[in-house]
This record gives sequence, C-alpha cells and structure tokens, in this order.
Amino acid sequence: MDNWVIAMMLGASIFLGAVALFAFLWAIKNGQFDDEEKFLNAAKFDGQDELNDAINQERKKKELKRNYKPE
Amino acid sequence: MSENIACSHCHLEFNPSVMIHEGEHYFCCNGCQGVFHLLNEEGLNSFYEKAGNVTLNPPTQQYEDSSNFNSPAFYERFVKINKDGFSEVALIIEGIHCSACVWLNEKALHKMDGVIEANINFTNNKAVIAWADDIVKLSNIIDMIRAIGYNAYPYDASLQEAHANKERKEYYLRMAVAIFASMNIMWIAVAQYAGYFSGITQDIKTILNIAEGILATPVLFYSGWIFYRGAYYGIRNRTINMDTLVATGSSLTYLYSIYITLAQRGEAYFDSVSMIITFVLVGKFLEVLSKKSAADTLDVITKHIPSEVNIVKDSRIVACKLNDVCVGDIVVVATGERVLLDGEIIKGSGSFDESNLTGESDPIYKQLGDSVISGTTSIDADVHFRATKDFQHSTLSNLVALLESAINKKPKIQLMANKLSEYFSSVILSFAFLTFLFWYLSAHDFETSFMVAISVIIIACPCALALATPVATLVGLSLGASRGILFKEAAHLETMAKIDTLVLDKTGTITIGKPKVYQEHIYSEFDKRILYSLVKSSNHPVACGIAEYILQESKDDDSILFDTFKQIPACGIEATLKEKKILGGNLKLMKQNSIYIDFVSDNTLFYYAIDEKVVAIYELSDKMKEGAKEIVARLSSKGITTIMLTGDNEHTAKKVALAVGIENFLYEQTPQEKSDFITKLHEEGKRVVMVGDGVNDILALSCADIGIAMGNGSDVAVEVGDVVLLNDSLKSLEDAFKISQTTYTLIKQNIYISLFYNALTIPLAMSGFVIPLVAAISMSVSSLLVVGNSMRIRLQWNKK
Repeated sequence: MDNWVIAMMLGASIFLGAVALFAFLWAIKNGQFDDEEKFLNAAKFDGQDELNDAINQERKKKELKRNYKPE
Repeated sequence: MSENIACSHCHLEFNPSVMIHEGEHYFCCNGCQGVFHLLNEEGLNSFYEKAGNVTLNPPTQQYEDSSNFNSPAFYERFVKINKDGFSEVALIIEGIHCSACVWLNEKALHKMDGVIEANINFTNNKAVIAWADDIVKLSNIIDMIRAIGYNAYPYDASLQEAHANKERKEYYLRMAVAIFASMNIMWIAVAQYAGYFSGITQDIKTILNIAEGILATPVLFYSGWIFYRGAYYGIRNRTINMDTLVATGSSLTYLYSIYITLAQRGEAYFDSVSMIITFVLVGKFLEVLSKKSAADTLDVITKHIPSEVNIVKDSRIVACKLNDVCVGDIVVVATGERVLLDGEIIKGSGSFDESNLTGESDPIYKQLGDSVISGTTSIDADVHFRATKDFQHSTLSNLVALLESAINKKPKIQLMANKLSEYFSSVILSFAFLTFLFWYLSAHDFETSFMVAISVIIIACPCALALATPVATLVGLSLGASRGILFKEAAHLETMAKIDTLVLDKTGTITIGKPKVYQEHIYSEFDKRILYSLVKSSNHPVACGIAEYILQESKDDDSILFDTFKQIPACGIEATLKEKKILGGNLKLMKQNSIYIDFVSDNTLFYYAIDEKVVAIYELSDKMKEGAKEIVARLSSKGITTIMLTGDNEHTAKKVALAVGIENFLYEQTPQEKSDFITKLHEEGKRVVMVGDGVNDILALSCADIGIAMGNGSDVAVEVGDVVLLNDSLKSLEDAFKISQTTYTLIKQNIYISLFYNALTIPLAMSGFVIPLVAAISMSVSSLLVVGNSMRIRLQWNKK
C-alpha cells in the first residue's frame, strides 16, 4: 500500500512537471521568446482590432494556399 | 517669435512659419504629409496614439529604384520558397524607434493583397515576410515600407548568424530538458541517500530507481545527443575528445544502473548520468553563446557600397548600376559622395579624403588629369571623371576580395582546455579499463569489477574541467563589457593573453585623428560668431576643428548669413558681409590676396583675415591620446614589442613615434602592405595584436591574431575587429590586456583545481573506496570551486 502511494505520487508529479516542460519547449520552438521587447509590448496592443487582423491574415493565407500553385 | 509646433507625423518641432499647414495639422515636409495621409486612408491612424510622443525620422530620403528588387539575381540570392510554396525574404527595417513602428509596419504589410505573413523582430529590427509572388512583387512590398517612412534592405538569412541562432535555440531546448530532469532526479536522490544511511526497503528503492531512470532517459538521449554526435565525429577523425569520455561514461553508467534496478540490488547511478550531462552541456552552451561569424562581417562591408552611380550619357546625368559601368564612361561625383570607381578627372577639381586607403589625415587636392581612386570620399569636390577600370577590377572591389580571403585565413591558436581534454579523456578511459582488468583478474566477480571501473569514470567525469574555461571567460567578458571593451568571442581572451607583438595604427589610434586647435593667436578683436559661421559651412577637417574650438569656448551656435560666400578648393573660404571682405584659409589664400605674414610653425595653420588684415591665426595639430606614452612604456615593460604602422609620411610618423616612445615604425604603408607586414610577423612566429580604426586598417585587422578596433572608427573596422574599444582610449587597450591575462591565469588555475581533484579521487575510486554519496558530493564541490574561483576576477579588479 505504501509503495503504491509513493509510486503514484512520483508518477503524478513527474507527469505534471513534464506537461509544463513540454509547454515551455513548444513556446521556445514557436519563437515566443525570440523577441523579448515585442513579447512584453504585446500586452499594450491587445484588442479587438488585433484579433480581427490576425483572423483576416489567417483567412487570406488559407485562400491563397488553395489557389496558389507554385511552378 | 511664435512657439515651435510639432509635426503631426514625425513629432519634430519647428517654427510654424516654415511648416505646411493643413487644417489642424502641421507638417515639416511633404514626406511627413504624405505618410500622414497614407496612414489615414489605410485606417492605420491609431499608430499616432500608440507611438505617443516618440519622434520619428522624416521620410525625406530619396531611394534608388525598387525594381532592382525584382531582378532574378536578387531573387536567387535572397528570396526563398517556404514550405507552403510562398516566397519569403528576410529584411532589416531601418527607422524603427518603438513598438508602435513595429505595429505599423506589420499592419501596413498585412493590408496588402498577397502578403501572407510579416513578422518583425523589435530587438534587432529584422523582418521575415512571406508573400504570394503572382499577386504582389517584392518591389511593391519595399515600396510600401518606404511609403510609410521606413526603409528596408535584405540580408541573407541563411548566413551564419541565423545558423548560430538556430544552434543556440537547440541548446536552450536541450538544456531545458536536462535541467528539468536533473532537478527532479536530485530530490528523488535525497530520498535515496537518506535511505542509504537510515535504511530503506528494496521495494521503495526500486520505485525510486525506476522514477530516476525514466527521468534520466531523455537527458541522456535527447540532451546528451550532442556528445554522441561529437564522439562519433571524433572517432571518425581518429581522436578521443571530451565528448567520447562523456558519452561512454554516461552510457555505461546508465546501462549499469538499469541492470541494478532490474536485479533489485546495489546502488543505481542515474543521478550521476543526468548531472554529468547537464553540467557539461551548460559549459558547452556558454562556449556557443559567444561566437561571431566571418560571413556576417562581409555582409556588412558590401552593404556599405551603394549599388548605383551617376554617369553622363548623351549629355544628361543618369543613374547606372555599378556593375554596368564600362571603362570610358563618365562618372559624376558630388560633394560628400563616395567614389566607387577608379578614374581620371576630366572636369572640376576639389579635395578628396583618402584616409580610407592611405591613412593620410590631410585631404588631397585633385584637379584636371589627376586620378581618383575608388574607396575615397569627396570632401568639397564636384567632379566628372572617366572610369579607367570597371567595378570588378577597381581598388575597392580588390580590397573587399582581399578582406574576404584574410577573414577566412585568420589564425587560430589552439586553446589550452581543448588540447588538454584530448589527453585527459584517453588517460581516464584507459585507467577505467585497467581498473576493471585488475579487479576482475584478482578474483572479484564481474559485477564488482565493473562497478569499480564505472566509479572511476564517473568520478573523473570532467564537470569541473568542462566549466573551467567557459565560466572564467564569461566573467572576463562581462568585466570587459562593463569597461567598454567588447570581446566578440570568448576564445579571444585566451588568445590575447598569449600575444607578444602589438601593432598600432597612428591616426585615430595613437592620435585623436582630427586636427584640434592647439594654440590661438589673436591680433585684434573680432566677432567670433562670424568666424564660426564661416568655418561651419565647410566640412574640411581644419574648419571642423576650429568650429569645435569656438563652440567649446562660447557655446553659442547662432549662424550669420553672408552676403557672398565662396569655397576656394585647397585654399579656404572667401566671403563678404556688410562690405567687409572675410578670408579664412591657408597661407596660399593669403598670398593670393596679397597678404604677407611671417609666422613659422610645425603645425597646420589657419589664417583669418578681415579686409586684408590678419586678425587671428590658429595653430592646429593632431593631438596624442591621453597617456599614450605611459601606456606604451608599461606594455613594453611586460615584454610586448610595440610597432607603429601608418599611411602618413615619414616626418609625421617620426614625430609621433618619438613622442610616444615607439622605436619601430613604418610609414607610407598601403592597406595591403600593412597586412603583409603582419603576415610576415606571423611567419617569424610572433603572435600579433593589431589596433586600428579606419577602413585602411581592416585588412591588417582581419589577418592579425587579434584585431582591435576603436569604437569611433569606421563601421567596417568595428565589424572586422575581434575586440572593440568603445571609448577609444588607449587606457582601455591596456585594460583589455590586463583582463585577458587575468582571465588566462584563472583558466589555468581552474584547470589545475579540477586536475588536482581528479588526482586525489581517481586512486580512491580505482581502489574501490568511493561510495555514491562521495562521488556526487565531490563532483559538485569541484564544480563549485571552479565557479567560485572564476568570480575572483571581479574581486581582484575591485581591489585595484
């Protein structure tokens, strides 16, 4: 019984830690820490316009991707 | 006088009378007005709200035609096709001041049809832009950036800088995993060690071992991949390096620990596996952190060469691509422009600054029939010349080509730690093998013998040795940086400590490089503001020196408008003000106006006359930098030979060399001769530091063991130099030597500490006395000793 509790607690805590680690690795790979200044300033420019712009940009990309045939 | 009003776009303040007035808005120029309207039309006017009161550069510059960017050659070099099939280019955006600028550029580009992505890095102003090439062209994108008041030029993202960034990122990832796992293993290990002393059931021990094993696996195979790779390359080149030791040590320990876990007896060493990998990885990362690349340097140099020149065609002046200019074409050079081609003057005359090529500080006057050399700059000359060579064969492109080969051939002194680790690794591996043989043959079972052999490798594992150099150099680098000395690569510290020859450039290095007023002789009172306005309108170095001197005295920079004003090449300036004839210039100008004066001096003289009567004479000379003589003396007392190279004539060279106390000097040196001289010193087995500031020094800087550039020198020299002295003083040159020597001493001490530790513990391990706790503690203690010892650099400096 004791052993089972220890094993479970070890397993659970390592798993939670690993989730956080993977989130961190994903963020590094994604380039979120490449530009520390922009990263900090992003909060200032956060708003409806920015979200709309991001969505428009994504839509544009999708549309173009469908029609675009590089030679 | 009404108050100044800020321009609605750039926020620079001007008098409203000179501004463009439009409704409630004021603009300083058409450029600002244009951008303001463009932003309003595009719905981007919230930019001004975001930017606040930041002042911007007014977009008044004229740029070359952007259709250049659509040429196939350009596309081939800079434009890539990304994985979605879109075109992609990396640009550096000029003129970014604040985060609102980044916002504006991104949004403006996003609004263009066909632009898929625009991502600008605020920290380094680099942008990556992706677009569909059949909808917009790169030139449209560049035009948009220019239209909103910025400029962009491409850079090759596949260069080494990008490569280095990628490598750095890879290390971040591997270190994140290693540190995370090691920290977790450590707290599990606390339970293990506590259990070792106070008793622990085998079941619990196995559970802890399994947990440790799970955590150690990614450390060894993901974070430790670098060592496997290094070991593999080492074996392929038939050398045993530090990587081999780390890789074999940690994998053997890992396998052994798995066996222990499964067999459910003995002690597992998963904690050692992850500790070793983490420590050595951090050491390696510190080395990677400080590396500069040669390729980027060249990019900066070619960026400084404009791609177009003005030529005369059918009696009209047209812009022509540099590479398309043929021999015989007539090239126009205006005041202040750089000469990009070699040729012979056919019209006009004026002074040229040749200090880029010759180091000669005085401007050279050229007239009809004289030859102009590419790489020089026109000071006040407005000339037409006939090209005698095309760009490929010009002096300037020769210089770039020479530089390219010099940078690639830069000598590298093999670093102490690298040399040592080779021997160290092979010695330890053979010790471990011998230990195993000895124990096994002296009638112990396989398991015990194997464990003892492994403990030798673990205890010897070079954590401290791996940290010895990087930590010490890092402290040295930061110490230098806080004193305005930038070492571009950690290895330069070690190289510089081994230097025995110091080569100094004269102009700008030993001397300030600009003529300064040395003495003022006033014969009758006059209005200094008139003289100031007179000299300020010329950019001749002598005039600049006098302007600076007067400004220092009176701090009053009001200008006076002259009734007539004329610059006389190679003589001076002639002006009239309220019927008075004002002359300022050299003796020749005075003689031409039949003013005769008897004044003898070694220095450059500037005469100032009002109505044909000399009212003042200024003596100017290029002053020595502070403490030059003492510093040269101190350096040579340390056994460093000092040599001076200069492009100037013998007389000036001798004067400066005598004043500073340098016995060996060479004069009238061309850039090529300077670098040849350094190569010759290399052949004699000398290790050379070259200190310089100008474009004429870059060849020599790049072929010396260490090139030191003055921070105020030309951009190119700063780029090529391995060390940059930000405050230009010779004192920091001395400091640079001191820092490098202190650091080198500490590196040596660190290496001794770690070797001493190994000499102490390896015999213990070989005789089988090392229990896991001792191994773990001694490993940390030796690493801490090394780190603590490195921190002493700072203490030593603070004491001084």
